[in-house]
Amino acid sequence: MLSQQIINGLMLGAIYMLVAVAFTLAIGVLNFLNFSLPGLFMLGGMLAFGFLKLGWPFFLAAGGALFVAALVSLLVERLAYRRMREGDAEVPLVSSLGFLVLLENLVLIRYGSDQQAFPALFADMNVRVGGLVIGIAQMVSLAISLGLVAWLSWFLRATNAGRRIRTVAENRETALLMGINIERLVPQLFVGSALLAALAGLLFAVNYQQVSPFMGEGIGFKAVAAMIIGGMGSIWGAVIGGLLIGLAEVLSISLIGADVVNITVYGLLLVILIVRPQGLIGRPPAREKL
Amino acid sequence: MSGYLTGVLVVLAFNVMAAYAVYLPLAAGQLNLGIAGFMAIGAYAAAYLTNELGWSMWAAVPMGSAAAGLVGILIGIPVLRTHGIYLALATFALGQVIAAVFLNLDVVGAAAGYPVTDYAAPGVVFACAIGVVLLMALISRTRFALYLTAVKSDATVADLMGISVRGIQVAAFALGAALAGFGGAMYAHHYSFIEAQHFNVLLSVFTVLYVLFGGVQTVWGPLVGAAFFTLVPELLRASDQWRYALFALFIIIFMALRPQGLVTASLFRLFRRRSKGASA
Amino acid sequence: MSAPAPTATPAAAPALAISGLQKSFAGVRAIRDLSFSVPKGRATALIGPNGAGKTTVFNLVSGVYGVDSGSIHVNGVDVTHLPSRRRIRTGVARSFQNIRLMSHLSVLENLLVGQHVRASSLAALLTPYRLIPNHRWKREARAALAESGLEQYAEETVGALPYGVRKRIDLVRATLAGASVLMLDEPAAGLNPSETNALRDHLKALIARGLTLLVVEHDMHFVDSICENVVVLNFGEKIAEGPLSVVWRDPKVREAYIGTDEEA
Repeated sequence: MLSQQIINGLMLGAIYMLVAVAFTLAIGVLNFLNFSLPGLFMLGGMLAFGFLKLGWPFFLAAGGALFVAALVSLLVERLAYRRMREGDAEVPLVSSLGFLVLLENLVLIRYGSDQQAFPALFADMNVRVGGLVIGIAQMVSLAISLGLVAWLSWFLRATNAGRRIRTVAENRETALLMGINIERLVPQLFVGSALLAALAGLLFAVNYQQVSPFMGEGIGFKAVAAMIIGGMGSIWGAVIGGLLIGLAEVLSISLIGADVVNITVYGLLLVILIVRPQGLIGRPPAREKL
Repeated sequence: MSGYLTGVLVVLAFNVMAAYAVYLPLAAGQLNLGIAGFMAIGAYAAAYLTNELGWSMWAAVPMGSAAAGLVGILIGIPVLRTHGIYLALATFALGQVIAAVFLNLDVVGAAAGYPVTDYAAPGVVFACAIGVVLLMALISRTRFALYLTAVKSDATVADLMGISVRGIQVAAFALGAALAGFGGAMYAHHYSFIEAQHFNVLLSVFTVLYVLFGGVQTVWGPLVGAAFFTLVPELLRASDQWRYALFALFIIIFMALRPQGLVTASLFRLFRRRSKGASA
Repeated sequence: MSAPAPTATPAAAPALAISGLQKSFAGVRAIRDLSFSVPKGRATALIGPNGAGKTTVFNLVSGVYGVDSGSIHVNGVDVTHLPSRRRIRTGVARSFQNIRLMSHLSVLENLLVGQHVRASSLAALLTPYRLIPNHRWKREARAALAESGLEQYAEETVGALPYGVRKRIDLVRATLAGASVLMLDEPAAGLNPSETNALRDHLKALIARGLTLLVVEHDMHFVDSICENVVVLNFGEKIAEGPLSVVWRDPKVREAYIGTDEEA
């Protein structure tokens, strides 16, 4: 039974992992805690649901949802992130939270506040391995998540575009001196992190066959916890953190009860922030110069 | 006063108290996303004292506030080792943990909620909110308020000038917590019922939202932000479903156009100069 | 601090005494076995090519960095291991090379922050001084501004002021702590000739008042007009010490400056 819970935890963790990677791209490179990402996660699931209801085939509905999420993310870049250079650092955070509230309420107006059933893609197809039940949908989404993250990690390490992104992450001025076009790179990053978040929302909808206008909040905030626990700005940190949070959540539900999930997950986050703010595999921040 | 108007003004009073609980630490550069947690501590502690120990509200509410402040000190000391986004997230996690603890605490009703036996009339709530505003206006005229800004804008130099940066930071954090606890305790005694689900992350987030909207450069920003946030959605009542969407849209556009918030220091200086010019 | 430290010999103690100071950053030795002292009531210059470690000395004395070894005494009190926040109380204040004023605050408010050590009781902290017209703190700050001819800027937001004005306000703030030793990091850098003259007069007035100055400065004419003594650093080491005219003929000093920047 425990091994079944561990598998369930890893499946959920894969969703957290994708959203955490989306957050970590924004924070590691742009130093922007983008709270609109849970909204984009929700758009991935809810819009795919809406398009399917219009009778669109699955891949068109999924593609449409991702496309809209990417467009909204460009708006976030325009209206929230670009204002970062003026005013306090909290402003873009507030604006991105504003986007979260806006998206949730727009979807609520269109589809109502109730939880809706997302149609099953792989009708009741499960694999049984020695008493363990593993859904095909979950297996597929775990494979997609891990494959995507591995590809992203390779992309950042081994390609020229990836190196440019890492240069911007390390030092914006150096990047400018090296002639990197930051103005063009930033919107691309916003689209990338939006696609990751929306894809996670889509996979969540397919896996758990349910969507609602508020599905992004709980998942998104736990993904932030996952990112910090793993180490802000590190892709593999987000992976470890995501899987860890997924495990902690599923295990505390099955061992203690559903009401203590927030205590374990956010308690873990709090302890990590106090004891090791740079996360499990992050580097400590550099000292300022006078 | 009509029942509706009184109801709206009571909400405004609670929002004003919450706004200053966010403002105090924010003035020192700390974004507290867990203010609802401290409200919960004040609310539950005060309600427990009235219900189980038979205390009068007048003693229970200050004790609830002190309890929240004490937790603020105890938690602030380790948590304030972090800065910026890390601190915001630590307070965010803290708020979640506190709310979840009360959700599981059977002695105060757990998930079923907790009725409160004593009652605070609207007049008392208004008086408290006005008291908080006056107190904050007074504090904003002191060196303490000056040092909050100093610590926020350059902690290294503030330290070299001999200011206890840690002391100021912990004081700002704990005073904000105590203020939140005070508001929470009043809330418990006015509505005579509390449930842990009320003190959720969105309560914290919305409070931060309208404080930043009002602006943190002057002491009046939070008041204006809270008033705007409470009253404008009421005016938009005609399109009930749309009002949060419109409000969010408004905030996004507003922050893009005026990132310093509505009420700024230079705005005040402009007014002062104008009035000086007029009187001269 | 009320009881004198055992090493203190008040009458003879220099204002600032640095002995055997060592500091490395990531294996690079920034300060090597540095010893010198600054006599009371006079101006001493700390000069040397860029990167010689002058600002690092200031940072070690004010406590921004901890020392690896060696000792620092201010007015006879050992401050080597004192937390940075407590050092200003021993009588040493500083200005900053890249002006560290709080740009959102007004000039007057910045100066009030500078007064902190003289108004640090809980009562002072909670006095609503802004409600009291012409409060003593505001009067003092305005008087200090007037002395530098800057009184018209009192209510301005610092961020909006020109560089030369901010540079001099940074200096005024350092003087307001009531410190007897001032460490000034390139006070004349970026000033125009008339501002430099005003600065020179201001510093001479401070010396006449009995203050001790330690000045990092590249403008050798300025150094010559203020400082009786100079200490020359190169690669974190003291290579010469004495009156500028003597030190300047020292071949080691010439060598240190040639090929880097030949001012003076």
